[in-house]
Amino acid sequence: MWFCRVFVLLAVLLGSARAATAQETPPVAQVDQNQTQSVQVQPGVNTTNSQRACDACPLRRVGMSFLQATGINVLYGLGNLARGEVTARITPKTWWANMQQGMVWDLNDFAVNQIGHPYQGSNYFDAGRANGLNFYESAAVAAFGSATWEFFGETNHASLNDFINTTLGGITLGEMMHRAGWLIRNTHATGKRRLWSEIGATAVDPITGMNRFASGDASRVSDKPQEFVPASLASVASVGGLWRGSQSSAFSAPGDPFLEVDAYYGDTNSGRSNIPYDAFWLRVRFGGGSAFSEARVRGRLFGQPIGNSGFQFSVIQTYNYQHNDAYSTGSQAIDAGIGKTCQVTDRTTFWFLGWAGLTVLGAVDSLPLGVTEKPDEEDTGHGPDTGPRFYDYGPGSDFGGLARLAHDGRDLAMFFYVGRHLYSLDGVRANHFLQHARVDLILPLRGPLGIGTSVEYFHRRSVYQDAAGSIRTYHYPQVRGYFTWSTR
Amino acid sequence: MVHPMRRLWICVLLWLIPASAAAQNAPPEDASKLWVVAGAASGTLRGHCQDCGADFPFRHGPGVVGNGGYRISPRLDVGGDVFWMQWRNDSGVIQAVAIDAVAQFRPWVSKGFFVKGGAGMAFVRNWVQTMGPNPDDSKALAVVFGTGWEFNPKGRVGLQLFATQYVGALGDLQTVNGPISDVTGNFWTLGAAIVIR
Repeated sequence: MWFCRVFVLLAVLLGSARAATAQETPPVAQVDQNQTQSVQVQPGVNTTNSQRACDACPLRRVGMSFLQATGINVLYGLGNLARGEVTARITPKTWWANMQQGMVWDLNDFAVNQIGHPYQGSNYFDAGRANGLNFYESAAVAAFGSATWEFFGETNHASLNDFINTTLGGITLGEMMHRAGWLIRNTHATGKRRLWSEIGATAVDPITGMNRFASGDASRVSDKPQEFVPASLASVASVGGLWRGSQSSAFSAPGDPFLEVDAYYGDTNSGRSNIPYDAFWLRVRFGGGSAFSEARVRGRLFGQPIGNSGFQFSVIQTYNYQHNDAYSTGSQAIDAGIGKTCQVTDRTTFWFLGWAGLTVLGAVDSLPLGVTEKPDEEDTGHGPDTGPRFYDYGPGSDFGGLARLAHDGRDLAMFFYVGRHLYSLDGVRANHFLQHARVDLILPLRGPLGIGTSVEYFHRRSVYQDAAGSIRTYHYPQVRGYFTWSTR
Repeated sequence: MVHPMRRLWICVLLWLIPASAAAQNAPPEDASKLWVVAGAASGTLRGHCQDCGADFPFRHGPGVVGNGGYRISPRLDVGGDVFWMQWRNDSGVIQAVAIDAVAQFRPWVSKGFFVKGGAGMAFVRNWVQTMGPNPDDSKALAVVFGTGWEFNPKGRVGLQLFATQYVGALGDLQTVNGPISDVTGNFWTLGAAIVIR
């Protein structure tokens, strides 16, 4: 049987390689819809080179994107090996053992699973983007990189939660970072200015950046791809202190400093669109309970006005991560939303979006019944994590809303609410109901400066599937005061 | 035990797949947005639990696969995937159905190579007979990913050979000896299907 296994593997690999080398250059007319759109509106299109969808777009190299995803796996593996990780000591035997076992749940740390793997996935995804593949094609590269890492990159068994988090999180973070890289990149500049803009973009999207340096695109003057020029762009940076209450007492703990950034790329409430992530919202927070405590991305996959009502229907992909000293939660979801922008006065607008959808996989910190405090976890050094793991995994559903009141394009008030149900499939068996609400009030001071305050509330109600149907609730109020710096 | 000649034929067939597909020069037909796949597979199942320490055996059985959906572009199809499999153990017959939302991607338009992936739900009937006498149903989070080769990828009707892995995460499994926590089942399939576009 070994003969046939090896032969089959060789046949598949050679078949793929031959297909890659024999790959015909797709004429522009065959380029997918997204790229075709950008070709139609892109000024300065280089129609003599049909391997590029536009003048500044990368060469389309499908085989190279998969090869680079494999190379990324090798680099991560070598990194783990250099750090002395036992799980990096892979051999064909461990590959075969992993393939025979199939996928299981893993016991890794929350941050590793919920932010580490999505970041790794973003590298795979951007290997597709950097080689001229469109969004959905790059999603396949993310899944390929994720699956091959799980089976062949480590000695421990392939992990189901890692595969989902790496693929879906990688798509979300990858496209967001790819677009952020194109915002930073100044393709009209030359000399040092150009070099630093390319280096800055490479820091955000390393795979695209390195490909551009390698191909010479990093110094070629061209127009930016129209696809990566947002219809609008605004951001708010906030610096201040955060006070979080606990189960027993409110706000007794000392405040934590934080830096938070909200970025609004495009407008999810306007326009007909089938270009994924032409509009997205990003929030990241450093400090406020942990070094990196929050990341949210809500990217539009599809947008369609509803008649002449002014309402807009959207399909949105979301990535959520919250990890602080009080609670931890993360999720990957697909939502359908309806929103509208109302003109209150000539200078004041009210923007709102409501949504509901499916959570493909969510995680929430959870202790077994009878345990009131998380025990110190055993340090396994460079060995594989052996558990126990104090958070649960499961699919579920979610709903929520986001509203902003703005004057002259600057936020005066903001409301955010999300409710989520998770049915735990791994960990303590329970139904978790999570609610998170936040209200921000901001007073513009001078120029881009402002001062703000916010009230936030996180609530978890867990219904355990024990004989008694035990219920536990947890709530964490938060207040914060901060200065803001707005750009638009 | 597979006969050596049959083994050789399988290997030769797999070797010829890329060449025969590359040799195809079918003119592109009017594009239909429909994507339908129907076929059969041979499946192998293996269970796993996080803490129970049991060594689950491999089980084998026949399966049926169906895809239906929409062709977004010449390279990308999206839709639903239904996989049904039945297998037998000492206690009786067990059936599983996985219903997933899937996307199938062909990196090269004129070549038959494709990868696919998706997620959804799985339903397992009489799973518990592996452990005890009480039949039970169980729902699971399902994930699917796989690869394969499609013959005549530009035509309206084609044939595909595929290798797919379905993963079902069941959570708790109730048995006569008590619940087993954090159970997953992995289903590997090899099969062939008719493709209609």
